[in-house]
Amino acid sequence: MVVVMKERASDLEVETVIASLVGMGMDVHRSTGAARIVLGVVGGGKVDPRLIELMAGVHEVLRITQPYKLASRTFKPDDTIITIGDLRIGGDEVIVIAGPCSAESEEQVHATAAAVKRAGAKILRGGAFKPRSSPYSFQGMGEAGLQLLRSGANTYDLKLVTEVMDASQIEVIGKYTDIYQVGARNMQNFTLLRELGRTRKPILLKRGIAATMEEWLLSAEYILAGGNTDVILCERGIRTFETFTRNTLDLSAIPIVKELSHLPIFVDPSHGMGRRDKVAPMARAAVAAGADGLIIEVHNDPDHALSDGAQSMFPAQFDRLMAELRIIAPAIGRSICLEPVARRGWAR
Amino acid sequence: MATELNLEALRDEIDKIDEVIVRLLDSRARCAYTVGRLKHELGRPIYEPAREAAVIAHVRRVSEELGGPLDGDAIARLYERIMDEARRIQRVEAERDAREKKEKE
Repeated sequence: MVVVMKERASDLEVETVIASLVGMGMDVHRSTGAARIVLGVVGGGKVDPRLIELMAGVHEVLRITQPYKLASRTFKPDDTIITIGDLRIGGDEVIVIAGPCSAESEEQVHATAAAVKRAGAKILRGGAFKPRSSPYSFQGMGEAGLQLLRSGANTYDLKLVTEVMDASQIEVIGKYTDIYQVGARNMQNFTLLRELGRTRKPILLKRGIAATMEEWLLSAEYILAGGNTDVILCERGIRTFETFTRNTLDLSAIPIVKELSHLPIFVDPSHGMGRRDKVAPMARAAVAAGADGLIIEVHNDPDHALSDGAQSMFPAQFDRLMAELRIIAPAIGRSICLEPVARRGWAR
Repeated sequence: MATELNLEALRDEIDKIDEVIVRLLDSRARCAYTVGRLKHELGRPIYEPAREAAVIAHVRRVSEELGGPLDGDAIARLYERIMDEARRIQRVEAERDAREKKEKE
């Protein structure tokens, strides 16, 4: 923290500020400039910057450390790499998650899982408990849906991510999933975040629709503070004045998160755009901007999807997108969803 | 001095392009590997001259549209080498597969 004194601050005012900071257990480094005096404040004590700002002679108080610690790159300079089995998230390889918005039937889950696996996706997505804007929309299949998703993922050798909406669902979802997803609407459900911090499965934390970077990273901090170090941030669009798309996908979040934090960042172009014809260009841009992964809605029959059909890609569109991404990723020195050739012989 | 700096910058650019080319060749080789496995399962031969001719015709067309210093013949010569390697990958894997089957018997 840096305390900037007013130009005409008296010696007494400066000394009073220093005395109270020292009294709070801080070390104060005083620099006397040509016009004003600046106090550098470090140490383990607890200081409310607003109280200091109210003191006589103080011009302003600048916070130099972020309010989030464990999520910050200052705390951990190296990128966090999350390992699930043979999968590495946050490394050189860009990981693609794909699947339907919700589990609807065995046929739908398996057909979609087969299609996304064929295209190269490494993780299956799909909801069993759906947070819908309207209480009259399809609410998901519950545990039966989880069973379908798990069996789809197992059959096609995919990992699984599914959304948890409430702390009461953590246990049942934990029986089936590899990654818990926290949706945009729950980004600041601190009770849920704290409970997830006690689990030891990776958390995909979506950015709230009106959340700043700092609020988002503070939400991650709740999970990290509980001892769960495997948090994946996911940009999914924020609310702006533009109504053409469902939300405005904030791709600037990618380089900013990379600077502020060591956590991997994914992008969800499906929810951000809300229209399937606009998903591919944003997915390409996200990879080019350095995203560690994508989460994309794909449905074997989008026209008959029970939720979010308009933003779900057809399997053939997803195939084409993956082929394009395999060309884009190398341009920035990365790979995307590689087939593990060496470990797989033809005999099997 | 200016030309020296330029040379350095251009060589740097070539190094960057090479990194991308190698990664793309890697992706291509992985694809060829999977194609080999499918051909093997379907009982089709590794060497399919019609397909190779189609690949050459395709890249020839692309490079001629670009109109750069690499003309159609030049790109065809490069692709012959690339396909040699793809065939070799498929042959090595087919041989290993045959060997493993024999050991099991």
